[in-house]
Amino acid sequence: MAENPDYRLRVEGVSKSFGPVVAVRGVSFAVRAGAVHALVGENGAGKSTLVKMITGMLRPDEGAILLDGGECRFGTTIDARRRGITAVYQDPKLFPHLDVAENIFMGFQPRGASGLINERRMYAEARRILDELGVDVDPRSLLARRSVAEIQFVEIARAMIADMRLLILDEPTASLTPAEAGRLFEVVGSLKRRGVSILFISHRLEEVRRIADDVTVMRDGEHVITAPASSFSEESMVHYMVGRELKSFFVRQEPPPKGAVVLEIAGLSLPGVFKDVSFSVRAGEIVGLAGLVGAGRTEIAEAIFGIRPPSAGTVAIDGAKTRPASPGQMLRKGVAYIPENRDENGLVVELGISSNICLSVLDRIGKAGLIRRSTESGFARPFSEDFEIKAPSLHSAVASLSGGNRQKVVLAKWLATKPKVLILDEPTHGIDVGTKAQVHKRISELAAGGFPVLMISSDLPEVLAMCDRILVVASGSIVAEFSREEATQEKIMTAASRVSKAGARAGEAGDGR
Amino acid sequence: MNRAIKDHSWELFIGGMVLLAAVWATSLSPYYLNAEQLLFSSRNLVFTGVMGLGLSLVILTGEMDLSLPSILAVCTVLLSKASAAGLPLPVALAGIVLVALALGAINGFLVAALRLPALAVTLGTMGAYRGLAFIIGSEVGYTGFDGRYKWLGEAKIGASSIPVMLIPFALAVLAFMVIMHFSTFGRRCFAIGNNASAASYSGISVVRTKLGAYMIAALMAALGAWVFIGQFGSARGDNANGVILGIITAVVLGGVDINGGRGTILGVLLSTIFLWTLRNGMGLANIAGPIQQLIIGALLVTGVLASNFMGGRIEFAGPRKKAMTGPSAP
Amino acid sequence: MGDKGGATLARRFSNAVSRNTLRLRVFSVLFSLVALTIVFALTTPNFLNFQNLKVIAFNSALLTIVACAEALVVITRNLDVSVGSIIGLAGFVAAKFAAANPGSGALIVIVAVSIGLLLGLVNGLAVAYGKVPSIVATLGTLAIFRGVTYIVGSGIEVPSGNLPRWMIHGADATLLGMPLVVLLAVAVALILAFLGRGLPILRRVYAVGSNPGAAVFYGLRANRVVLFAFASCGALVGLAAFLYISRVGTITVNLGRDWEMTALAAVVLGGVSTTGGSGSFIGVLFGALILSTIDNGLVLARAPEFWRMFIQGVAIVGAIALDSGIERRIQAIFKHGKG
Repeated sequence: MAENPDYRLRVEGVSKSFGPVVAVRGVSFAVRAGAVHALVGENGAGKSTLVKMITGMLRPDEGAILLDGGECRFGTTIDARRRGITAVYQDPKLFPHLDVAENIFMGFQPRGASGLINERRMYAEARRILDELGVDVDPRSLLARRSVAEIQFVEIARAMIADMRLLILDEPTASLTPAEAGRLFEVVGSLKRRGVSILFISHRLEEVRRIADDVTVMRDGEHVITAPASSFSEESMVHYMVGRELKSFFVRQEPPPKGAVVLEIAGLSLPGVFKDVSFSVRAGEIVGLAGLVGAGRTEIAEAIFGIRPPSAGTVAIDGAKTRPASPGQMLRKGVAYIPENRDENGLVVELGISSNICLSVLDRIGKAGLIRRSTESGFARPFSEDFEIKAPSLHSAVASLSGGNRQKVVLAKWLATKPKVLILDEPTHGIDVGTKAQVHKRISELAAGGFPVLMISSDLPEVLAMCDRILVVASGSIVAEFSREEATQEKIMTAASRVSKAGARAGEAGDGR
Repeated sequence: MNRAIKDHSWELFIGGMVLLAAVWATSLSPYYLNAEQLLFSSRNLVFTGVMGLGLSLVILTGEMDLSLPSILAVCTVLLSKASAAGLPLPVALAGIVLVALALGAINGFLVAALRLPALAVTLGTMGAYRGLAFIIGSEVGYTGFDGRYKWLGEAKIGASSIPVMLIPFALAVLAFMVIMHFSTFGRRCFAIGNNASAASYSGISVVRTKLGAYMIAALMAALGAWVFIGQFGSARGDNANGVILGIITAVVLGGVDINGGRGTILGVLLSTIFLWTLRNGMGLANIAGPIQQLIIGALLVTGVLASNFMGGRIEFAGPRKKAMTGPSAP
Repeated sequence: MGDKGGATLARRFSNAVSRNTLRLRVFSVLFSLVALTIVFALTTPNFLNFQNLKVIAFNSALLTIVACAEALVVITRNLDVSVGSIIGLAGFVAAKFAAANPGSGALIVIVAVSIGLLLGLVNGLAVAYGKVPSIVATLGTLAIFRGVTYIVGSGIEVPSGNLPRWMIHGADATLLGMPLVVLLAVAVALILAFLGRGLPILRRVYAVGSNPGAAVFYGLRANRVVLFAFASCGALVGLAAFLYISRVGTITVNLGRDWEMTALAAVVLGGVSTTGGSGSFIGVLFGALILSTIDNGLVLARAPEFWRMFIQGVAIVGAIALDSGIERRIQAIFKHGKG
C-alpha cells in the first residue's frame, strides 16, 4: 500500500477485548497531518479504548498504529509522548502546588551553566508558549488557582514543549463555558497552523461541525464512517452513531403501568451540577434517564440516594417528603441505588458473595449486633440461587466473579434491603450479551412486581427496550421526555446533544467512556 | 481440612514461631519452663496485649492510632490522683473510662470526621496526651497506691501463682474475637478497610464506625492502665513510653494488613504471645533493652516487607502489575 | 447523621479556613512568631533582652537543621520518625571517632554526615522500594538504629572533654556577635530555600509530593526521588548530630532521644503540609523559632517542662487541621472539572 505522506496517524485493523467483552473491533481510519479530526460515537462505542491504545496505555490485541508511517509499539504513555503523541483528559495530571511554568516544564526545565534551573528563562519560555497558544495565564501563578479551562491550556502547553505531532483532546469542552470553549478552539486553530494534528473526541455535534476537518464515527466498537466534516449534517451524524438494527434479546412487553406514584422528585438542585430536577415514577413503571456522559444523571441519582446531598429539593417516597442527607438515611426510607461503578462503589470485591449481599442489611439479619457466617450464607443463598450466580461457594471472593455475576451480586444485595424504589445506574455496562438479557428480564420482573424503577443508561437500545418513559438529561436539566411509543434513538440523541441555553454548566461528571 | 489450613496459613506460621521461640528460650535457660517464672513474666503481656487488640480494630478500618500508650499514661496518673484522694475504686474506674473514651473520640473525630491524615495526627495526639499525662501527674511519680487499686495487677487466683489479670485479658481476647468476626460492627470495619467508598454507598456510616473503633481502642488503654498500676505499683507521665513499637509489631506480625481490611484476632493473640516469649527469652539471655527493641523493630520492618513482597507490591525492575502506583504515602 | 455530618463538617471547616493560599503560609507563620514574641515580651520578664534572645537562637539552630531535613521527607508525603536515632548513631560514632583521632579535623564531620546518609538510605529503600508505609518503616528503624548505637557504644560514654578542642570551642564561637551555630543554621535554611527553587531534583521532590500519580505518569522516577529525600534528610541530620555533640556535654548512647516530635512540630508549624507538595524552608526556620520561643517562654514563666510536650502535640494537631483546610481547597479547585 502506498504511503500517503499526508497522513499523520493511521489506525489499521485495531481490536481490543476485555475478557468476553469486545471494546474495539477491527477499526481502521487515518488522521491527516495538520487536521482537526473528530471522533464521535455514543458512550461505549469504544472511543476511549481506542485512544488508550493510541497513547500507549493499552496494547492492541490485533492491528497496528502508525505515526507518520512508522509503527508504534508503546510500552507506556511516556514512550508515546516521546514520539509526539499526547492526550489531554478531563482529570488533570498536573501538580496543583506548583506554578504554571513549572507544570509546563517539570522534568525538562531549562538549565543554566551551573546545572541549576534558569528560572528567568523558564518563565520567559512559558510566557512564549502560552502566547503562541494565545492563552493569557501568568506563568508565575499557582496552578491550583487556575480555572478548569486554564488548566487544560497548561496541559496543552506542556505537550508542546516536546515535538508534538498528535494531540488528543477527550471531551475538552465538557466543563467549559461557551467563552472558554471558544478560546480553546482558537488554541486548536493555532496548533493546526503549526502542523499539529488534533484528534478531538466530543459529543457536542455542533462543535464538531464547527471546528473539525474530518469526522470518524464509531458504533459498538466498530468503525462506521470517516469523511470530511462538511459532508455531514447533525442528523446524519446522529444517524451514523445510533443507526443500528434494534436487536435486543429481550424486549419488555408489559401493559402500561397503572400504579400510584411512589417516587416523587421535586426541585432537586445542586449548583453547578444540576438544576430544578423534578419527575415522578409510578409503581411498576420503568423510567429511563438518558443523556450524554457529563449531563449529570449519576449526580442526580447520587443526590436522591444521599451520597452527595442536594442543596435544594425533596424526595418523596409514598408521599413522605425528605431532603436526602446520607445513604444510610435514604436506605432506611427504601431507596436502593445500584452504582455505575460496580467494582469501586457497588461491591467490596475482597469480601465474599454472601458478605456483600448482606452488607446493607447487617442490622436486620444480625441478632443483638451479632452475626455468623452461616447466618450470612443462609440469608444469601436464596438470592444467589434466584439470580443464578455462578460461583464455587457463597464465600468465594467477589473478585473471582465475572462482570455479569458481579452485577447479580449487587442486585441481590439491594433487593435484600426490601427497597421501595430501585435506581439503576448503567446496569448492564461491561456485561456480556447473555447475562445482559438475564438482567433485563429480572428488572422487568421487578417492575411487574410493583417496583418503581429509575434506570440510567447510555445504551440506547436498552433504554428503548426497557423503559416506559424516557427522560433526557442535558447539562444538568431535564430537556425532553418521550413515551415508549414515540421514542427513537435519533430523537433521544438529538435532545441529549443539545447544549442547554439555560447556562447550567454540565459539570462534574462520571467518567468519560 | 485443606481449606482450613490455607485460610489460616498465617496463624499457623505464627503459632509455629511461638513454639520455636519457646524452644529457643528453653535452650537458653532451664528456668524458662518454670511455671512461676512464666506467670511472673506475664507482667508485660497483658497491658500491651490489650492495646494490641484495640489497635488491630483501628488498623482494620484502614486507620492508625499511635496515641494509645499515651492514653494509658493519662489513665494511670488519673488513677493515682483518685487513689491519693481516697476515692473508691469503681468511681476511679468510671472516671478513666470516660476520659479514655473522650480521648479516643477526639482521635476519631480528627481522623474520621475532619478527615485528617491519621498517622500525622495521632503522632500529634500521642504527644499531646503524653504531655497531658505529665501535667496531671507529678515529676516524681506516685507510688502510694491503695491495695484495692492494685488488686487486678497483683493478685493471684486463689492460692495459685496465676495472675488474676489473665482473666480480663482472656475476656478481652474473646470479646474482640466476637467483635471482629461475629458482630455487625466488625463486618462494617472489614468492609470499610477494604473499600470505604463501597461501604458508604452501602449505607454504612464510615464516620461512626471509625469513631467507634477509636473509642474501643482507647477503652483498652484504660484497661491496660488499671492492670499497669497493679503490676508496677507506680504511675508517672512516662508510663508505657515506647511500647507503641511493640504493639504495632504484634499487630502486623499477627497478620493484620497495615492498609486495612484483613486480619484475625487469633493471629494477633499468637503474635503477642510470640513477642512475649521472645522478650522472655531475650531477657533470660541477658540481652539489653535497646537490643531487644532493635530486634522488635527489625521484625516489624521485615514483616511488612514480607507481606508486601508476597502481595506483589514490590517492584524490582520497573512496574509489574499496577503501573501507576506512586511512592508510599504516610 | 453519620457521614453527612462528617462530609459537610469537613467541607464547612475547610471553607472556613481556606482564605489563605500557599504563598501566604510563610507570612502567617512569621506573623504568628511576631505575635508570640510580643505576647511573651509583654507578659514575661526578661524575655526581650539580648542575652535571652541569643539563647532562643542557639536552641533553635540545631532544631532548624533537623527540621529542614525532616521537611524534605514530609514534602514527599512521608514521615521520618527515626531522626532522633540517626542523631544518636551518627553523633555517637562521630564522637568516638573524634575522641580516638583528635587530629582528623574535617573528617569527623564527614563521618557524621556519611553515617546519617547511610541510615537515610536504609529508610528510603524500605519506603520507596519496599513500599513499607513511612511511619511503620521509620518506627522500626528508630528502634534498629538506637539498638545499633547501643551495640557500638557498649557501655562507653564519651565525655566532652575527650573531643578535640576545636569542636568544643567552635560550638561557642561567635561571628559578629552571633553564635556560629546560629549562622550555620540560617545558612542551611537559606541554601535549601535557594536550591529548592533551582535544583531540578528538589523540584521533583515537590512534584512527587504534590501528585505522586502524575509524577509516575510523567516518568519523573518517583521512587528515586523519595530515596533521595530520605537520604538527604539523613545526611543533614548527620550534620546536625556533629554540631550537637560539640555542645552537649557527655555523649551517651541515649543521644538524640525525643527529637522526633520536636522536629515534626517545627515542620508543621513552619507551614509544610503533611499531605505533601508544598512547604518552604524559610517557613521551617520560623517554625523552629516559634517552638524555641515557646520553650523559652515556658522556662522564663517557670512552667514545668511537661507543658512543652503537650503544646508540641497540640501544635501539630492544630497545624495539620488548619493545613488540611487549605489542602482540600487546593484539591477542590484543581479537580473542578471532575467533582
